[in-house]
Amino acid sequence: MTFAVTVGGRSVECSEDQALLDACLRAGVWMPNSCNQGTCGTCKLHVVSGEVDHGSSPAETLSDDERGSGMALACQARPLGDVELRQQGTSAARTAHPLRDMVATVREVSGIARDTRRILLGLNEPLTFDAGQYVELVVPGSGERRQYSLANTADEDKVLELHVKLVPGGVATHGWLFDGLAEGDEVDISGPLGDFHLPPESEDDGGPMVLIGGGTGLAPLVGIVRTALRRHPEREVVLYHGVRGEEELYDGDRLTELAGQYPNFRSVPVLSHEPAEGYREGFPTDAFVEDVATARGWTGWLCGPPAMVEAGVKAFKRRRMAPRNIHREKFTPADA
Amino acid sequence: MTTTERPDLSWLDEVTMADLERNPYATYERLRAEAPLAYVPVLGSYVASTEEICREIATSPDFEAVITPAGGRTFGHPAVIGVNGDVHADLRTMIEPALQPAEVDRWIDDLVRPIARRYLEQFEADGQAELVAQFCEPVSVRSLGDLLGLQDVESDKLREWFAKLNRSFTNAAMTEDGEFANPEGFVEGDEAKAEIRSIVDPLIDKWIDHPDDSAISHWLHDGMPPGRTRDREYIYPTIYVYLLGAMQEPGHGMASTLVGLFSRPEQLEEVVDDPALVPRAVAEGVRWTSPIWSATARISTKPVTVAGVDLPEGTPVMMSYGSANHDTGRYDAPTTYDLHRPPLPHLAFGAGNHACAGIYFANHTMRIALEELFEAIPNLERDTREGVEFWGWGFRGPTSLHVTWEV
Repeated sequence: MTFAVTVGGRSVECSEDQALLDACLRAGVWMPNSCNQGTCGTCKLHVVSGEVDHGSSPAETLSDDERGSGMALACQARPLGDVELRQQGTSAARTAHPLRDMVATVREVSGIARDTRRILLGLNEPLTFDAGQYVELVVPGSGERRQYSLANTADEDKVLELHVKLVPGGVATHGWLFDGLAEGDEVDISGPLGDFHLPPESEDDGGPMVLIGGGTGLAPLVGIVRTALRRHPEREVVLYHGVRGEEELYDGDRLTELAGQYPNFRSVPVLSHEPAEGYREGFPTDAFVEDVATARGWTGWLCGPPAMVEAGVKAFKRRRMAPRNIHREKFTPADA
Repeated sequence: MTTTERPDLSWLDEVTMADLERNPYATYERLRAEAPLAYVPVLGSYVASTEEICREIATSPDFEAVITPAGGRTFGHPAVIGVNGDVHADLRTMIEPALQPAEVDRWIDDLVRPIARRYLEQFEADGQAELVAQFCEPVSVRSLGDLLGLQDVESDKLREWFAKLNRSFTNAAMTEDGEFANPEGFVEGDEAKAEIRSIVDPLIDKWIDHPDDSAISHWLHDGMPPGRTRDREYIYPTIYVYLLGAMQEPGHGMASTLVGLFSRPEQLEEVVDDPALVPRAVAEGVRWTSPIWSATARISTKPVTVAGVDLPEGTPVMMSYGSANHDTGRYDAPTTYDLHRPPLPHLAFGAGNHACAGIYFANHTMRIALEELFEAIPNLERDTREGVEFWGWGFRGPTSLHVTWEV
């Protein structure tokens, strides 16, 4: 008999006389392990569902209480059916906002910068999400799906705001969102998705933040930065918006207004290819390195093309931001 | 292979202790290929060098533990690594409660994390450091020292002790007559033990009358009838086991893991970016350069044939776990550090009923130390102006590791 063993979203086959650890390691699914004879306890994990035979797990390593509460030693336990495991130290999945399929109505389509549109989608029912998450749009006729980040804060839950950049020849943008989409159109969407969002308010210590958005990678940062400042109005926040030239900048007034409201918030537009008077030149990640001497204790937020995100990670680490505090949303143009 | 077709192993006559200490891998690679169980003259002992033979002997009912001659000369009797039966059971019962996973989980983070931070604070603004002496070894000895009850012994003193005991324990060269080839090599170990006793004896005196929660105090009292304690002469050999291996090896493991990661910059970056990968990085680090490279042994309890070699009853065999973990029969390109290699179990912590009792403690000490290092200095780079040298046959790790970072 062979059973399915699921751990961390991966499923491996395990025969009835095979240890869970052995099955996982053979399938390339790593889990901590050391002695492989039941004595060290390194491979102890939670059996979330299903039954296991503990085999010769010693009582000193796996107590009756632990067995009763669903713990097992992966190197000793054999499956008695399909089982789902959770490794120690990984938290049970946070309560996620339920993923929903919805029909939205286009409220507004406006050109806000060169090859850039703001699209507002009205919902019949409010959507629960965290600022920074994204939704998928179904491209009519093609069945293709495209991801767009929400610029909303969580309380702006009935009209979703997307920022869309034209991809020449793109099925979704060239053929639809920039050509033919009109107010009143119905759009199939799914969401919310993604893990690019602030921690729960109770875990947000109000520490300094830097956010770097490339092009329409600004969208989720608009939602995140407003949420973060509302939680801690005094916190230090720097937002870099990197674009090729001045014509691609947008939401400048919105960010200036925010800076007026929150004294420790700064917004810095940076132009990479078309210099213009009054603007920083170069890449936003370099501007950060120039401006910030140390980012120890800061959190960092990156959304944009992969090269910008990678440069941002390097820049943040160079200024000694702890890697676990670096959040990234890679923005890959699947639409070409 | 049968015993009559034994390959010519006369090349082993030329192998010296200095060769093995500088780099044992070439010798053991040839042993694995030609004679996975072979008599090595300089060691005056049989040596098991492959994964299969090490595992077979370590878990065989026909063998039991024995301490190596130089180890026994250094630690005395009964050290937990070299005894069997009731004495072994009693010593394991004495040391294991503090090392059980559920127990370690209770305090390991509060013990190790502040220690790692404290050492990092001393140099993190400098932009350069020698991590073996400034971080890996101090975090290792301070964590275990505090656990044992040696809070008042300076970290540098604990480092000096393990280094002296190490050189004494691995002073393994034997003459053809079965005598120690370098008896003067035990002098510094004897000096270290005299100093240890001068410091630990008064602590034992105190713990006998005033038990506290330190590990050694528990060793004295746990399981004993009221009013009685274990004899100090009975526990000292195991105290020395701790003051050598348990003090030294987590530091070796951290440093080797770091050197391995520096050899794969993209893998270093992955681990720095995702601290959840640290345990896997450490597992590969101790496979790649096993801290306890060849420090334990077994002895046959009856005539037995292993790997085609007939061994009479009472034949000691040294377990070369550092070699077993480079066995090409088990690992592709074993000399390469590779975070992503198929994650097969390794033998860095031994096997059988003498497998390391401190696996869980050591793994978590190494994990927390490296988490804190990468958190504080995510832009760590190896200082390529300085080389990295490894030393050791019994115990192995980098002797220094110079790093730089932008401040």
